Amino acid sequence: MAGLRVVEFAAPLGAYAGLLFGGLGAEVILVEPPGGGPLRRRGPWIGSRRDAEASLLHAAFNAGKRSITLDLSDRDDIERAQVLAERADLVIAGGSLPPALAHEALAGQASRLVTLALSPFGSKGPRSGWLAEDITALAMGGMLTLAGYPDGPPLAACGEQAVAAASLFGATAALAAILRAEAGGEGAFIDVSMQECVAMGQENAIQFLDLEGIVRKRDGGRQRQAGTGVFPCRDGHVYLMAGGIASNRFWGATVDWLVEEGLDGSEGLRDPRWLDSKWLNQEEAKRIFAEIFEPFAKRRTKAQLVAATSARRIPLAPISTASDILASAQLAARGFFVNRAIDDGRVLPFAGAPYQLSATPWRAPNPAPRLDADRDDILRLLEAA
Amino acid sequence: MSAPLAGVRIADFTWIGAGAYTTRMLADLGAEVIKIESATRFDTLRDARPFKDGIPGLNRSGYFADRNCGKRSVTLDLKHPQGLDLAKRIIAASDIVANNFAPGVMDRLGLGHDVVRALRPDAIYLAMSMKGATGPERDSRGYGLTIGALTGVQHFTSLPGRLPAGTGTNYPDHIPNPSHAAFAVLAALRHRRRTGEGQAIDIAQTEPTIALLSPLLLDHAVNGGGPLPRGNSHPDMVLQGVFPCKGADRWIAISLRDAAEAARAAALLGLSEASAEALARATQHWDAVALAEALQAQGVPAGPVLDARGVLEDPQLAARDHWARLPHEEVGPTVYNASPIVMDGLPRHPSRAAPLLGQHTREVLENMLGLAPSEVDELAAAGVLR
Repeated sequence: MAGLRVVEFAAPLGAYAGLLFGGLGAEVILVEPPGGGPLRRRGPWIGSRRDAEASLLHAAFNAGKRSITLDLSDRDDIERAQVLAERADLVIAGGSLPPALAHEALAGQASRLVTLALSPFGSKGPRSGWLAEDITALAMGGMLTLAGYPDGPPLAACGEQAVAAASLFGATAALAAILRAEAGGEGAFIDVSMQECVAMGQENAIQFLDLEGIVRKRDGGRQRQAGTGVFPCRDGHVYLMAGGIASNRFWGATVDWLVEEGLDGSEGLRDPRWLDSKWLNQEEAKRIFAEIFEPFAKRRTKAQLVAATSARRIPLAPISTASDILASAQLAARGFFVNRAIDDGRVLPFAGAPYQLSATPWRAPNPAPRLDADRDDILRLLEAA
Repeated sequence: MSAPLAGVRIADFTWIGAGAYTTRMLADLGAEVIKIESATRFDTLRDARPFKDGIPGLNRSGYFADRNCGKRSVTLDLKHPQGLDLAKRIIAASDIVANNFAPGVMDRLGLGHDVVRALRPDAIYLAMSMKGATGPERDSRGYGLTIGALTGVQHFTSLPGRLPAGTGTNYPDHIPNPSHAAFAVLAALRHRRRTGEGQAIDIAQTEPTIALLSPLLLDHAVNGGGPLPRGNSHPDMVLQGVFPCKGADRWIAISLRDAAEAARAAALLGLSEASAEALARATQHWDAVALAEALQAQGVPAGPVLDARGVLEDPQLAARDHWARLPHEEVGPTVYNASPIVMDGLPRHPSRAAPLLGQHTREVLENMLGLAPSEVDELAAAGVLR
């Protein structure tokens, strides 16, 4: 991304998009309101601190960016923001901006400018004015209904995945538009709706309704079908997927394993009915499988179960906690976590490269900026304009 | 204005979830995607429910269809020397070669990175195995659901004291992996346009999702102990939750971010204060959509929990023309997600329905590789095009 400049108007929507551009070498200028952008006002936090430099959300997703505060209700600051935006390749706008910073206004001076506008529901339509948090979009985009326990309310995916989805689809669209602009085309206005991005995460729920007339429900804590689901073990939980993604791909290997381990009743799992997805979906099948497998799993650790199944290529994974992930030998061997200081001086493992590119590798960013830390440099950039 | 990736061609060996959705995203942006399968090594998602009218068939899966619209399908027997040769000719004519097999599978097929680079020195070679091409666990295999378990999605999407619930889906397949992979491919395309140089991209299908959960891991590293799964609550808000509404299994998501929003919600619902218990007692008498409208009118973020039917009928998605009904050779018109990207020069809907297995073999061999119809006939008779 050498030579690319991104101006990001601070908002939850778009923050991760700016992070992706910065990670591959673009220069990212974070324009924040006086007092700081919204990521600085959401946790997780460093201990009990709640000041503008204490948010770990900010530390994670604003890394590598440079910060300037501009008051977008002030005419001089709007003018500064305008010049910055006109000299950028990409403007990321995850909130509302004054008319002088709208794409049409900027494109007059910068015909190759790409504007990535992200909003909860998109720029047009009957609910384009609705307010949303992450969970609102998960609800209205169809992911929430699929998650949670059948005896309780639907459950939000952890880690603000609706906000993430908007940033991810938006970043991809923006980079594609930049490629087109650089190849001699014009810039573009990109309109991303968080709700619509969530709708891409419904798996096959829409098709289940359209093709088979079935409305999928949440099944958390239960087997999806016999042999596929969460099982308790000695030190936590594992996810076994004996069915694979189609109905019975790893059934034979799984049963061979259980029979070899001498589990009571495991021979019965060789009956042909266990290859029929209709049977596997019945509660009785799930109960029989659980009665055979659970007592065995409870006597073994996650690591033991993973070792036994990986040799047989049966998809089984530990349900990792934060400590499991931070201690992963595989992630360590790939150099995934990268140490970086947070505001109190402690050095912590930050998630690093989400992809490894051989010629243009991801580079570990600088720590997230203190508020307005790069004001002088950025103002000099304006003067040079 | 043309689509951004017009003129970019992908030799697509991906299958199932994350890989196939990556190349679909690139097809949505205008790339020409040639999906290479065979009658014995077809994309196994073709064999996954739901099927049109519940009748199984390799061309009837809606799960497969939504991940493969806009592509063309070629069947080649890669174990046959002539089949392998044809695959190499497609690769030589492509800008991007994509797979999401376990490490080593492409090499064993005779289509590893070295082979591809010899055929097409500036190729962009995308590999997205479960845990990446390096490291002690590189041979692990899995799916979105097991990746969800490995990455913390399953653990953190839960209620304390209950079995880990997760998203109920192969979530990393649908959003984190394909979008990170597409972004990396685009970055590589930009580098190639500037320098002429191709490159290899190695994606571990665990790492993008873990990157998204970075704040939760930092919380653990800084504050220790937790963080525990927090259900639908949000520690920086006065109250957030999902509450029951009128009807069977109807719910509304409500976020009360500050005292003022909490007071307005309480007033609307006739409550003296907005506690979770009081809200749940009040919301159950409301229709979810009507209550969301009323709360939104008060400046409170709220939305009905929509199931598949609700999402399909949602007026806002309809206004954005999100749903496409594309005609398919075997199953007729069925519903597809459009790309969530609205951009100048980008067609709103996918260019074509999912391909039948091998539907475009002849077309690609004749038009792209320049084979004569009689040559294609001979290859077919020799069993190369299965």
